[in-house]
Amino acid sequence: MSVLTLRLAGPLQSWGASARFTRRTTESAPTKSGVIGMLAAAAGIERGDDDRLAPLAALKFGVRIDQPGTRLRDFHTAHHGISGKSMPLSERFYLADAVFVAALEGDRTLLTTLHTALGTPVYTPFLGRRSCPPSLPIELSLHDEGALMDILRQVPWQASAWYRRQYPGRDHIELTVLREADEVEQHTADVQRDQPLSFAAEHRRHALRTRVSDPVRIPRPPARQLPRHDPFDALDEESA
Amino acid sequence: MFLTRFRVNTARPGARRLLSSPQAMHAAVMSSFPALLPTDTPTPDAPRVLWRLDQTARAEVMLYVVSPQQPDLTHLVEQAGWPAAAAASADPATPGWQSRPYSPFLDRLATGHRWAFRLTANPVHHARRKDGEPTKRTAHLTPLHQMGWLLERQEACGFRVLEKPDAQRLLPSGTTHTRQPHHGDRYELAVHDKRTLAFDKSRTAGAPIGRKPPVTLVIATFDGRLEVTDPRLLRRTLTQGIGKAKAYGCGLITLAPLGTAG
Repeated sequence: MSVLTLRLAGPLQSWGASARFTRRTTESAPTKSGVIGMLAAAAGIERGDDDRLAPLAALKFGVRIDQPGTRLRDFHTAHHGISGKSMPLSERFYLADAVFVAALEGDRTLLTTLHTALGTPVYTPFLGRRSCPPSLPIELSLHDEGALMDILRQVPWQASAWYRRQYPGRDHIELTVLREADEVEQHTADVQRDQPLSFAAEHRRHALRTRVSDPVRIPRPPARQLPRHDPFDALDEESA
Repeated sequence: MFLTRFRVNTARPGARRLLSSPQAMHAAVMSSFPALLPTDTPTPDAPRVLWRLDQTARAEVMLYVVSPQQPDLTHLVEQAGWPAAAAASADPATPGWQSRPYSPFLDRLATGHRWAFRLTANPVHHARRKDGEPTKRTAHLTPLHQMGWLLERQEACGFRVLEKPDAQRLLPSGTTHTRQPHHGDRYELAVHDKRTLAFDKSRTAGAPIGRKPPVTLVIATFDGRLEVTDPRLLRRTLTQGIGKAKAYGCGLITLAPLGTAG
């Protein structure tokens, strides 16, 4: 099995799994439907094309919370662009300054196609809502061999420098991974309605999906250092 | 030509005064040349004194000076160095700073050699906001424009910045996603430590009373790898500097072996 990892980092993100009507909430981590939808958009799969969506939705999904971010509430007022009429008042929730690593496990050819599609996307990727652009390239790495959890234990910590500085001195950091349950855990796991069935514009459909939380310990990356540059290295030893 | 290195003792008030004002540092560097008089008119197109401050950690600040004559930094050691340690070493070769002849190295440069380089510069262009207005010197603010500024000059400076192998690039072949050529991610070149300097230029006698606007500069540090294309032009670049604000610690480019710079 191959694993594709994505870095979801941006000033704002919003991942709704149960958002309805004028209260648009966000989960604390990216949803499967949001990430699969983003990949499908990058690969140019149209909204109603459920046949091409099915292999993507069958991928195994997991997400690591590298930097949880803070929840932001927006009291949203908007007016219609042409008629000037006011739109319904709504409350929108965002995650500010969060960084996640999402991983998808599945067939190698499919993941290679998606990896290339992210480099030259057909529709621009966004973090859960069109108004939330990513601040760093989304594609992180493609691992030809490996299981989802093993890869999420290897990928370096992606949190921003200012966040990493708040946890100085430790050689390991413990992060949370939210992944789909195995057969054994099926009955004890949490469920969330974010397994995409159809992204058709007239009627989106989602099925229930299991979610298990696992801690992982990963080594801290060394602090970024300037490259060593000593012009004396190029000169002769004798001094003046 | 000589290349000189001096470590600044950042704990001393004298060092803080020098580090906080490029104007003061310039004066301190220029007064280390006993033969160079303030009334001397510089010959155009001749090697000149260039200096740069490299800060690699909070208390690790190095002053590099490239100069036609050998400098005497005694006054810098006294104000902003370790005078007791320099006196105790009792070795005339290490008087608190290191100075080495630069010319043998400059003469050895040959076409095709590859080096790592570092440059702190003041990348500017001349822009007008509307037609008919005189142009004004304006700083480049984004890393992309700052890189473009250096890449425009590389040929005239006698070197070529090396290109990255395709595997290390974010986008294929150094193009945008629409296949337009673009230097963004193409070269072995990084821009870091962009900073804005604002400092007062000391008032000359007889100038009207009142605060003059400070000198403001946007400077950035380039780290990268290059290949020598024209040793004669590169020698000129290494001894005469690149770009503006050479008196304020900009324009000095130094080379180091490729292996040592990560």
